[in-house]
Amino acid sequence: MQDPMSLSRKEPSRGYQLGVVQEVLLALLAEDASHGYQLRARLELALGPLSAALNSGQVYVTLNRLEKAGLVSSELVGQADRPDRKVYELTAAGRARVTEWLEDTSWPKPAPAEFHVKLVAAAAAGLADPVRLVDAQRHSLLDGLAAVQRAALAEPDGSVAALLLEGVVLRLQADLHWLEACARYWNDRKGGQA
Amino acid sequence: MNAVESLPTVEPVLRTHAVEKEYGRGEGLVRAVDSVDLEVPAGETLAVMGPSGCGKSTLLHLLGGLERPSGGAVWLAGRRIDQLSEKALARLRRRAIGFVFQAFHLLDELTALENVELPALMAGSSPRAARSRAEDLLQQVGLGDRARHLPSELSGGQRQRVAIARALSNEPLVILADEPTGNLDSAATLDVLRLLDSLRAAGQTLVIVTHDSRIAAAADRLISMRDGAFVEETRLTHGRSGPFVELAGLEG
Amino acid sequence: MGRVLLVCRLAARDLRRRPLKAGLLLLAITAATATLTLGLALRGVTHDPYQSTREATLGPDVVASVAPPPEGAKAADLAGLEALTHARGVVGHSGPYPVVWGILSGHGQRWPVRVDGRDSARAPVDQPKLTHGSWVRDGGVVLEAGFANALGITAGDRIGLNALDLGSGRSVAGSTGRSFRVVGIAVTAASVPYPEVTCLAECAGNTGLIWLTRSDLRRLDARGPSLYVAYLRLADADAAQAFVDDHMFQQRSSCLPGEPCASKSQPPSLESWQQIRAESANLVENERRALVTGAWLLAVLAVASVAVLVGGRMADQVRRVGLLKAVGGSPSLVATVLLAEYVVVALAAAAVGLGLGVLATPLLTDPSAGLLGGTGAPRLTASTVALVTFVALGVAVAATFVPAVRAARTSTVLALADSARAPRRTGWLIALSGRLPVPLLLGTRMAARRPRRVILAALSVAITVSGVVAALSARAGLTEDQLGSASTLNQLSGVGGSVVDPGRVDRLSHVLLALTITLFVLAATNAIFITWATALDARRSSALARALGATPLQVGTGVSAAQVLPAFVGALLGIPGGIALIEAADPDAVTLAPLWQMIAVLVGTVVVVAALTAIPARLSARRPVVEVLASEHA
Repeated sequence: MQDPMSLSRKEPSRGYQLGVVQEVLLALLAEDASHGYQLRARLELALGPLSAALNSGQVYVTLNRLEKAGLVSSELVGQADRPDRKVYELTAAGRARVTEWLEDTSWPKPAPAEFHVKLVAAAAAGLADPVRLVDAQRHSLLDGLAAVQRAALAEPDGSVAALLLEGVVLRLQADLHWLEACARYWNDRKGGQA
Repeated sequence: MNAVESLPTVEPVLRTHAVEKEYGRGEGLVRAVDSVDLEVPAGETLAVMGPSGCGKSTLLHLLGGLERPSGGAVWLAGRRIDQLSEKALARLRRRAIGFVFQAFHLLDELTALENVELPALMAGSSPRAARSRAEDLLQQVGLGDRARHLPSELSGGQRQRVAIARALSNEPLVILADEPTGNLDSAATLDVLRLLDSLRAAGQTLVIVTHDSRIAAAADRLISMRDGAFVEETRLTHGRSGPFVELAGLEG
Repeated sequence: MGRVLLVCRLAARDLRRRPLKAGLLLLAITAATATLTLGLALRGVTHDPYQSTREATLGPDVVASVAPPPEGAKAADLAGLEALTHARGVVGHSGPYPVVWGILSGHGQRWPVRVDGRDSARAPVDQPKLTHGSWVRDGGVVLEAGFANALGITAGDRIGLNALDLGSGRSVAGSTGRSFRVVGIAVTAASVPYPEVTCLAECAGNTGLIWLTRSDLRRLDARGPSLYVAYLRLADADAAQAFVDDHMFQQRSSCLPGEPCASKSQPPSLESWQQIRAESANLVENERRALVTGAWLLAVLAVASVAVLVGGRMADQVRRVGLLKAVGGSPSLVATVLLAEYVVVALAAAAVGLGLGVLATPLLTDPSAGLLGGTGAPRLTASTVALVTFVALGVAVAATFVPAVRAARTSTVLALADSARAPRRTGWLIALSGRLPVPLLLGTRMAARRPRRVILAALSVAITVSGVVAALSARAGLTEDQLGSASTLNQLSGVGGSVVDPGRVDRLSHVLLALTITLFVLAATNAIFITWATALDARRSSALARALGATPLQVGTGVSAAQVLPAFVGALLGIPGGIALIEAADPDAVTLAPLWQMIAVLVGTVVVVAALTAIPARLSARRPVVEVLASEHA
């Protein structure tokens, strides 16, 4: 899953990626078989504000992959006044896959390790004061938090977007709390050595 | 209102120069605030953060004339306030400064309305004028229908909003808030956050001391303190938010 | 047994923890008990001295005197008097002696006196006992001890005497003053000592009593004696009053059979020794009444003081109550624990008060040195001890009973949670105070938070002012009294000098002053304590007021005003209260203190309360705002 802190390292021009598009499509097909165009519409509806992350051709590419993997099957359906379209439906394997995904409780792991190592390195090399590094990082995060919070406040209460943004805010808050603990730790160490 | 910031000749609402505050003597000497220089232009919302005991609350008290500095100077709207008598400071607090405290400090035996009209009464307004202003303010903070409730009948967030309404009573130049959400749960914090944000948008100068990063994130400028001195300062981005999906944390 | 021990231990510990409070409680109740002891001890304090005097002077059982002659008659008719000396039951007599009225001048003062003519030889009945010098001889005069004391005249001094015409109130025309030497000072049981000199057939107010030889007397007033007086001894001394009743109005009805009848003469006027003894008690009667009234006043004030000191604290004991109940204490045990320490203080106060009262009695009971033996050692009767103890306990219980019961009845859960007492809300008062200037706004709201305390403050002042007004009225009454009785001797405008016995007024004034000072001290302590408690209670709201822009002066004035307003109301109530008090204490009293004095008391009270409360008020207003606000809970 994506790490919010890696925003700064995004690669240009590939757009945003939503990693679980496959599973969502499978779930939609579990509800009802659809053809590609219809499926795309349904997907956008379901994703709501996140649908901006979809590439134009992403749905069809993903459906192909799924078919190749045997998780969906397709059927050509003749139409009276239109060209034939492919209708996709879920296979047994696909259903199993969706169920497995839904019941999966794994969660993106928090990763403080990298930053911590940065501080250790700075202290060891004497190149920077860990406490000052923490302060700088805090301010950077707060800047990010400010942007997210502003958007969250602009959203109407109870909207999906507000919910998603709240999640980001709270995680940033948690990270900030941890950074405060880091500051205390490195400050005490500094005091101990002095 | 924010255009004020761009005029260099306008006096900042608050200014300090090398202000210090010490407690104790000799071995037990504690320097709560250590030679701080600060300028708060009109209309700015400033957040001051830092660990416990870093002196941020003390700095706020010095800005509001609740304590006298041991050294340095403090100006409010161009007027030096650190040497004023108690009486003059009281007049200042009546006219130019509004306080918001962590513990709300509402009087339990007065209704919300009576609490809010208190500063106006103390400044000598007629009871009727004070009452109507209080009603307006409560309306403004969204508690118009709770005006006649006692504090014991209000939730924590509502009480703090009443306290903020009270602080607005005399149209102060600046509102000084000391941990305004310190005693509140997250839902109440959001209510107060929205209120502070609306005040900021209306051009009120605010100085907020806080632990809460959400409150700090609502400010225009953020200063971190440690051991009585400023260590980091950031101008926070506003109005420049990215696309939703970036904010939502999706990697691009 | 264990429970008793527990109660004692808890009470002792709490008292030790707050010695100042215990001391103040002791002071308040002791003031009442000491005063009450004093008042009670004064009852009968003159009995023993009178008895000694009677024995030493061969005091008479009956004093008989004959009225002055009617207009036109030549001289007083002695026949009735003579007849009496032979009446049934009389076993001895002396006299009849002649009596005239005179004006004595000496030591720059002039006084009306009753002059008795006597023989140099010892009389069988009523021979005054000399305390200084020797008995009468020609050219020498003997003064009654109380009178000499009041005027400051000693044996060896020279005095002048003029005859006095009681009818006109002037010196007898044509008589010349004569100078005499004071050869002796004596006491007698035949008359109450100065200034309550016994009335004979003719009354002349507060005169002095002196003795001359018969010949000197004749020379003094050429018209002849105004009165004759004889002293009788009866076979049965205790029957003296009965004898007096029988014979006093004999001539009005008819002669008793078997008695020599002198129907044509004027009836003699009689007085028994029991009457004289009772009147001797009047010497200290005013003081006694003042003290007993004062004692009750102080008792009520003590209740208020105790209520002030204790009442609020009782609520703080709530946690202790919760604990006791949680470990199984019954409500009665809990109430006992709460009351025990006050009962202990009350008993101590009773003991101290009794001791102080007994020690102080001699200061008041020198009945003008006119009786032998000074004062007897004041007896502490069992009834006095019982009454004083009862009053002390009553004060303590009255003040603490209700709060104790209320605290004991609190549910255990609430008690352990120990929520602080919420202040009361008085809507109308809050609305009203909005229209007042800032100090009064703050003050009234502060007072409104604790109505009970306001009432106690007003009550305390009302009691004190009542006492002061009553004392001033008593003093004014005494002065009038003296003035009134002397008006029959209006020649004294020519005599000059004060008609009021300074010594007598002094003593009563001292008692009244002492009472007033005690009342004042207690009330002042109350006022200061209440102010301090109010300021403490209002600490947060006054700090908040200052944070919102009130100056320390405004806040301090407000705290003071919270005291001054109830004090003003109390003072207003105290004035009619004092009037009611003096009426109750002395139903014969008709004089009230002059209006200007009452107004002065009213104004003075307000000023004093403002002054007393100013300091605690200012101190509390100067405390740094931040200390209070930045640290406290919501």
